[in-house]
Amino acid sequence: MVSMFTVASKEFSDIVKSKRFLLLVAVFGLVMVAAVATVYLSATEGTRGASMPRGFLGSVASSLVTMMSYFAPIMGIALGVDAISGEKEKGTLKLTLAQPIFRDTIINGKFLAAFLAISLATFIASLVNIGGSVLALGVTPTVEDVTRLMLFMLFSILFAMAFYGIATFLSTISKRTTQSVIVSVVLWIVFTFIISIVASLVASSMVPISFQPGQNMTIFRPGQNMTGNPEEIARLTEQFRSRTAITEAIESITPNYHFTRIARYILQISVNIGISPGGGVGGVGQTTTRAVSIMESLGSAWPNILVLTLVTVLTFIASYMLFTRQEIR
Amino acid sequence: MEYAIEAKGLTKAYKSEGGTVLAVDHLNLTVERGSVFGLLGPNGAGKTTLIMMLTGLSLPTGGSAKVLGYDIVKESVKIRKNVGILPEGFGFYDHLTAEQNLHYIAALNDIPKEERSKCVGDVLAAVGLQEVKDRKLGGFSRGMKQRLGIAQALMKNPELLIFDEPTAGVDPEGARAFKDLVVRLSKEGKTVMLSTHLLFEVGPLCDTVAIINRGRFVVQGNVRELVGKLMAEEGYRIRVGGAGDLGAFANGLMDLKGVKEIRLEGGYVLVRADSDIRVEVGKLASKCGVEVSTLDLMEPSLEDLFIKYYKIEGMAHPHNDRAANSEGIVNG
Repeated sequence: MVSMFTVASKEFSDIVKSKRFLLLVAVFGLVMVAAVATVYLSATEGTRGASMPRGFLGSVASSLVTMMSYFAPIMGIALGVDAISGEKEKGTLKLTLAQPIFRDTIINGKFLAAFLAISLATFIASLVNIGGSVLALGVTPTVEDVTRLMLFMLFSILFAMAFYGIATFLSTISKRTTQSVIVSVVLWIVFTFIISIVASLVASSMVPISFQPGQNMTIFRPGQNMTGNPEEIARLTEQFRSRTAITEAIESITPNYHFTRIARYILQISVNIGISPGGGVGGVGQTTTRAVSIMESLGSAWPNILVLTLVTVLTFIASYMLFTRQEIR
Repeated sequence: MEYAIEAKGLTKAYKSEGGTVLAVDHLNLTVERGSVFGLLGPNGAGKTTLIMMLTGLSLPTGGSAKVLGYDIVKESVKIRKNVGILPEGFGFYDHLTAEQNLHYIAALNDIPKEERSKCVGDVLAAVGLQEVKDRKLGGFSRGMKQRLGIAQALMKNPELLIFDEPTAGVDPEGARAFKDLVVRLSKEGKTVMLSTHLLFEVGPLCDTVAIINRGRFVVQGNVRELVGKLMAEEGYRIRVGGAGDLGAFANGLMDLKGVKEIRLEGGYVLVRADSDIRVEVGKLASKCGVEVSTLDLMEPSLEDLFIKYYKIEGMAHPHNDRAANSEGIVNG
């Protein structure tokens, strides 16, 4: 019986030779180079290679996470958006299904090929960023740095696969590729930009921050404590905490939120400027800088890893079930 | 009798906005091994749906069928392993060459790697595409793609071949080459099922035909028997040509027993009668002093057959009444 590797091998070859894939990798490679330049410029403000107060990861993580949070979904969508509908439109699905194979062989092969292609693209993009940063900063990453970066790459692949799953599902239910393209892009825009705006608006309307007249306080300056009336500080702390909880609850419906959380835990950085989780010992506005082990990081990130895994698995199962039962006319 | 295809009460119902549509309506079908079977019908009659079910690409909503002895629901992969299929509206990968496309099809058919090149070369030769094997499909005409489609169906040297609209987009030379191929396959003992709405193309090739309309067979059987049946029903048509007083001759024809209709058309006298009265017509012509040059019995074509049964079906169900019984015109 023909295995899914026959389909996967052809699909992988098609993907990596396609203009779409090459263009995406090239564009993001260039963007990564630009990000490296930013890292270099900020590092040269100090002494090159000698003074790295945030460490290697701290220096490269921000740009890497930001770039990957755009690159991974776009790559996932680009590969999945016509996975099934494109084959239906071109009639190639009819010809493939006329051969002695089960339908699940096709969809399994496509997922495997997409996984390999996404892994390759993520590896290339990460290599450009990390390698460039090593050269630019003149710092050799530690074993822990490398391990954390590998884990980050792994979860970036998972993040891209979640979007690939969503795009493939849309491609399976759509009659035309244009439909799945439009819905996928709209979904990406909503997840990446709209939800965070909506979440902020909802949170600020539900929990308005009110200041007592005559109070003179400095708030939200990272690394500093609030100063002022202790009761007022406690009240504001509670209000900020409620707002953050609402914002995060809304944002948690997106894969992007979970990826950002995972990245923050794995790379030990906070990509959002704001109140540190749990308020911290020092009160509002203070960031936690305590070093954590890799296992601790994974332990903190596991709910988010689980969510991304579930999105990937569930969209795959949904696509699989639909595709294997679908009438191909 | 060994059958390549056996279907009993095969049904496919689709749900649509207006309710349930029976694309294939309780079909009974048998196709003998080694024969050429023509599935004829207008567009949307249910031909493709029937083929999709027979090859396990669409599940029936009722009835059962076996292809080469394999159940279409439980053993569909075995069917596709042994049946070469040319689906309607298929496509190849445009970014791959003809040879690369066929290599992929060979891999999907689990043909051993060492045999693939020979296999691909043979089928390309069979459809006359060896010279363009290294060209990408994007530059192929529709007819060339259709020929490549036929090549992929031949790839596994199947016992049964099912071609859905095989000559669509093919030029006359290609159509003739396809007919020659079917004749050759038939001589090799293969069973061939041809589905088309172009009767004149496959009619002469088929041993048996079935005319399908609105999901049901309106007529089914051996081509010669069906033609004979139509002649008995519609009357024998005799064409008489010659020199002399054809007008007086035509008047005399009216007195012959069994003559139903006489028409003068393009220098010929066309006679429709309820039996073969060519001998009597010849005698009358001598009597009238007409020098006969043509005395033909005009056999109805497959197209006449199709038009007759299609019309009957259309008249019987003017409002697409699927529940109406059409057994009176279904043979088999």
